[in-house]
Amino acid sequence: MCWTEEKSFMNFYSFSGGCLQLVGLITAGFLSAKPIPLTTDGSNKRDPAFIDGGTTLVYGVDENRDLIRLWQIDLETLETKPYYESANRHHVEVAFSQDGRYVSYTECIGNLTAQFVIKDLVDKKDYFVKHSGRGGTRSPAFAPDNSVVVYAFAEKGPQQLWSVDMEAKNKKQLTQCEGISNWPSFTPDGKTIIFSNTRENNYEIYSMDAGGSNEKRLTENTIMDIRPVVSPDGKQIAFTSLRNGFYNVYVMNIDGANVRRVTDSEERDDYPAWHPDGKQLAIVSERKGKFDLYMVKVPSSGKITANP
Amino acid sequence: MLDFGNFKTRDCENGIGRRSFLKTASALPFAFGAGYGGLDLEAARKLGDRAKAKSVILLWLWGGPSHIDTFDPKPDAPMEYRGPFGVIPTKTDGLQVTELLPQLAKRSHLYSVIRSMQTTNGGHPGAGTVGLTGYEENPTVHPNFGSIVSKHRGRSGALPPFFYLGQGIPRDLPRRIEGYGGGTLGKAYDPFLVSCSENGKVGIPTLDLLSGMTPNRIHDRRRLMAQLDDTSRTLEGAGVAGWNQAHHAAYGLLTDPKARDSFDLTTESQSTRDAYGQTSFGQSCLLARRLVETGVPYVQVNWSEYVETFTPNGDFGWDTHIYNFELLQDRHCPIFDRAFSALLDDMNSRGLLEDTLVIATGEFGRTPKISNRAAREHHKDCYFSVWAGAGIQPGRVIGESDKRGEHPVTEPITPLMMGTTIAELSGIGARERAEMNVLDGGKIIHELL
Repeated sequence: MCWTEEKSFMNFYSFSGGCLQLVGLITAGFLSAKPIPLTTDGSNKRDPAFIDGGTTLVYGVDENRDLIRLWQIDLETLETKPYYESANRHHVEVAFSQDGRYVSYTECIGNLTAQFVIKDLVDKKDYFVKHSGRGGTRSPAFAPDNSVVVYAFAEKGPQQLWSVDMEAKNKKQLTQCEGISNWPSFTPDGKTIIFSNTRENNYEIYSMDAGGSNEKRLTENTIMDIRPVVSPDGKQIAFTSLRNGFYNVYVMNIDGANVRRVTDSEERDDYPAWHPDGKQLAIVSERKGKFDLYMVKVPSSGKITANP
Repeated sequence: MLDFGNFKTRDCENGIGRRSFLKTASALPFAFGAGYGGLDLEAARKLGDRAKAKSVILLWLWGGPSHIDTFDPKPDAPMEYRGPFGVIPTKTDGLQVTELLPQLAKRSHLYSVIRSMQTTNGGHPGAGTVGLTGYEENPTVHPNFGSIVSKHRGRSGALPPFFYLGQGIPRDLPRRIEGYGGGTLGKAYDPFLVSCSENGKVGIPTLDLLSGMTPNRIHDRRRLMAQLDDTSRTLEGAGVAGWNQAHHAAYGLLTDPKARDSFDLTTESQSTRDAYGQTSFGQSCLLARRLVETGVPYVQVNWSEYVETFTPNGDFGWDTHIYNFELLQDRHCPIFDRAFSALLDDMNSRGLLEDTLVIATGEFGRTPKISNRAAREHHKDCYFSVWAGAGIQPGRVIGESDKRGEHPVTEPITPLMMGTTIAELSGIGARERAEMNVLDGGKIIHELL
């Protein structure tokens, strides 16, 4: 038995004779908040993203000491394979449009030089976002209607949020912030962008209108709150925070209220990605020095562990 | 798990080939040169008894880690300097570190931090040479600190006295650093290179000469030597000159059970291996502990071979001209924080910190002012080093940088002072240094002791 949305949280698997064997089982109604492992190879992983209706997870992995590639895992079989078999350059910061038509990532094309790629998987065309000089784009996010893709880039000083259309045209700078802005995430209606910024001495989470106005601060503490991701229903934000001394994953309401701790480990839990069902997250967790993908249930209620 | 080139753990019929010998012979000065000639072991032993540091582990953070984003945060500096990371307290009064180092923050009672390091060179290969030798590359390449210790201590048993743990000689894309090895002391004091994968698989890349060899055939020493001698007669060139010493060294390394065991990380408990993290750097730190445990005097653990942090086929050095904050947060600092913490814990619990000096530093720091690319560039005027173990008074902050971390406001501490202190703690006093003609003019960092 494998991991599925219906059977989630009580599936187990083990290695035997070098082969992955899924020893499954389940108990409907008995949902554990304990993270369930999807991979066991332990390689450093990052940026998971669901595709194909939540049946496949794409993620970056340190494949060897000198190559970061995108891999995918089939959540029915837990089989893994490279997302682009022939890729031989670092591919990082992957994102997909909600309808699956577009994928974007940053590709290393030279020393300290990266290009931002938008691939139209239907028309099979590639578009490249141009900025002057060397540097790297970060954290792309597609608008729900595929009107723009928003990303972070530092062109002349503070790192700002920018947008381009699906053909990498009509580039616009959305923010005029001090500090470093990163990790944009759209609400489902496309009207609001959630992101992090460092103007207050460390990463805090903010919201703004999709055009860049009406900014509001959602978190406030002395430690980083990073990688905010809006839930599929637009009501919650998952994010990573060090507020309890360790990298853990939290959720809060879209307005910053009702912060709940999702994971509770002294090792790292990071990179939350909402499953399309809105009830669970894929995360990258470090356990015993190994980095693997896990699924974890989002508490619908529970102890509020910190004020926003 | 051992992987000496293509050395096989099972018998097979293939013998050594001329091609593999040629490949190895060309690499001999680096691969095998670590101090095999005319050493007064008895004298070294006596001096060693006197020294506080029987061994040294240098964690070489190649590429130049940002001091502001790690051990010298400036939370009150203007936004364009201070960076995005919060600060957290440590067990040491006056020492805050960034939130990227939570494990090391809890262990600050085991180490002291120097915040006023300063070097003379702002380029990687040049600064690498200064950082590892104390001097600029020109006009003379001085010996690596490890080579000095290596010459002084000599070799005990089958293991060479000076190891490099990493994939190759530290370099940037254009060239390697010159101060990697013996310098004026000669190639005989170059380090012995060993790699260690994230799974703890140990390899000696330059031992490809053993392609197809098996334990049984290696134990057939006369046959091996005859093969090598036959092959060497067909060769010319400087690489062959050192072969006689070199193949003895290789032979000893591969056939000495104690030497072989020191490379076998599978004999460690899984919990110990886990503690260091499943990364090449983490497992290399564990291997370093095993090597000093068996008496190796000097181990340099190289974070990476290449300085470049984001380049095709690069191995993610600390040269974060782009993605400084992202890579420090997502990759470099978590790996370093875990591995260094595990090393300190492990060494401390085994009593090895009593007589092992452990240092972590790079060749320089990074610009306090954040660049137009939201990253940091090279900064030679101020950086950090971390010291623990043999003779070091832990729990101290030594030196101070200015409000923006641009310059020391106390006396700058230089790589030459670092090397002199390493030498002194290793039992290489002023007289011995003068006799070796090394570290001339160097001062000891007394604040550490």
